[in-house]
Amino acid sequence: MTPTIVLDNGGHTIKAGIGGTDTPAQLIPNAIARSKSKSTTYFGHELLQCTDHASLSYRLPISKGLIVDWDAQKAIWDGLFSTDVLGIDTTQSSLLLTEPYHNLPNIQQVYDQFIFEEYQFASYYRCTPASLIPHLFPTTTTTTTPSPDCTLIVDSGFSFTHAVPLIHGRPHSRALTRLSIGGKLLTNHLKHLISFRQWNMMDQTHITNHIKESCCFVSSDFARDLHTARSARSPNPLTQEYALAEGRLRQPGDSTSSGSSQILVMNNERFSVPEIIFRPDDIGLNQVGLAGTIAHSISLLPEDLQGMFWANIALIGGNTKFPGFRERLLADLRPLAPVEHDVQVYEYPDPITAPYDAAMRFVSTPAYKDSVVTRQEYLESGSNATRRKWRVSAGEEKEKEKEKEKQGRSKSKTGTARKK
Amino acid sequence: MPPKRTREHHVRQTYVSTTTIDPRVVAERTRKHLDQLERSNYAETSIMSVTGDDNEPGKYGKSRARQIVSDKRNLKLLGSSPAATKKRSTMNVRSALLYPKNLATLIEESGIASLPASTPTYLTAEAPAPSYPPRLICSVCGYWGRYKCRKCALPYCDQNCESVHAETRCEKRVV
Ligand SMILES: [Zn+2]
Ligand SMILES: [Zn+2]
Repeated sequence: MTPTIVLDNGGHTIKAGIGGTDTPAQLIPNAIARSKSKSTTYFGHELLQCTDHASLSYRLPISKGLIVDWDAQKAIWDGLFSTDVLGIDTTQSSLLLTEPYHNLPNIQQVYDQFIFEEYQFASYYRCTPASLIPHLFPTTTTTTTPSPDCTLIVDSGFSFTHAVPLIHGRPHSRALTRLSIGGKLLTNHLKHLISFRQWNMMDQTHITNHIKESCCFVSSDFARDLHTARSARSPNPLTQEYALAEGRLRQPGDSTSSGSSQILVMNNERFSVPEIIFRPDDIGLNQVGLAGTIAHSISLLPEDLQGMFWANIALIGGNTKFPGFRERLLADLRPLAPVEHDVQVYEYPDPITAPYDAAMRFVSTPAYKDSVVTRQEYLESGSNATRRKWRVSAGEEKEKEKEKEKQGRSKSKTGTARKK
Repeated sequence: MPPKRTREHHVRQTYVSTTTIDPRVVAERTRKHLDQLERSNYAETSIMSVTGDDNEPGKYGKSRARQIVSDKRNLKLLGSSPAATKKRSTMNVRSALLYPKNLATLIEESGIASLPASTPTYLTAEAPAPSYPPRLICSVCGYWGRYKCRKCALPYCDQNCESVHAETRCEKRVV
């Protein structure tokens, strides 16, 4: 049996594994980093062994959500498929690979070229992360998971935050909406704040990201927290101290003289950074916040289904892990939703690997085999093969539905005819 | 709840437009700053030839296009694909590796700009502009920015932050 490789190719990390093995996702940095001091270069998985993250300069395959640097991407994928990590024979394997929302057609063609011409996979399936989530839905409806009929997936990742409505498990691309805030921007914003106010961290992406992950939270009341953070200059209930040399939060028991004096005081930075997702105007970005983005997306959906979407919002992506994210989103959404509609926001145990976990389920179903394009098909018709098989644009979907309706009608006609 | 709204309202009200700076300059500064927040490195040094200064010709021969890194690694890949062997990659793959295109070029070449407006694409998916006015945040300390600098229009909250602003970043840089 051909093994299937699952590769959720994120802008920050690749979530990878081999289908059918039930192994959790391996998280591989989707980056190449060069250490100036050591004149060493780390490719993708090698970064996991890197112990000194100071002054690394990065080269990322993905920019603004899209793969623009195929040399870097190939270098990282090579490492991933090699005996260093997965150790698979690509020519004897199938691949499930995620792509960005609204990927460009000319870039999609390059995906196909790498998968079938360079790696020569036996078959592959390419789709967006959110479109996989329905495979996590249970077969029976419970109150703790969103309804499979109409779900709005919020994917807040490294490059962007997207609202992705799914109708019967399929993305409705006409209503798919992008908020131009992602984890990369948040880390850079924090870097600027810290560097101006305390320590120069402009060269310290890795540690700033760790500070963000350990200290930041989403405020449920920005004005109140801003006031608290200012009131008693220091310390106030919101103050945290991060020991830069140790690379961790200082605990109450830590002696004051421990290590070095390199203490970073996190105050309103803790919540004003994630706040950008909810108020992009705080950094001058002329877009509505996440709640407004979701409301906009829902307004583009068929009116009779809108109520279902308000009640079935699910969160994926690393940014949704900020404490308080769901509560704040709910509070911001409520006033935007028509009063008669219930608003529900669901979470997954691990929002980062949720698409990977869903993909692992999908590749073990018979439906996966029907979704792939084989290398043979590609050799016969090139990227037309993948375009034909996976087209999902809203217009085409409608066409398909109409066709189905027609078929249905003619079938029932023949049915009745027979009865008579 | 109501007191906060009053406060925000109050903040907006107190701002008196005494700045002389052209709004277009402010818009351009904001745009540049947002671009900066998308960078992967603060000093956008080209680490195209990230492997350093070895000029050893790789699998694709010495290229005038640029040095590539993916062909100079010591990895063991199983099977008989070009990626796993010394077999030459296809023309498609070679050109993607050797002649990278920036996002603007890729978007242009994709032709999505000339599709009918009803076709959803990368360009049509952006979240709309807000209907509410922007909040003003002190560019020094992050508190409400009640006032705006007369020279550069950046908000600040009090005299203390005003002087820090004047000394450090007035007309220079935004956060
Ligand atoms: Zn201030
Ligand atoms: Zn100024």
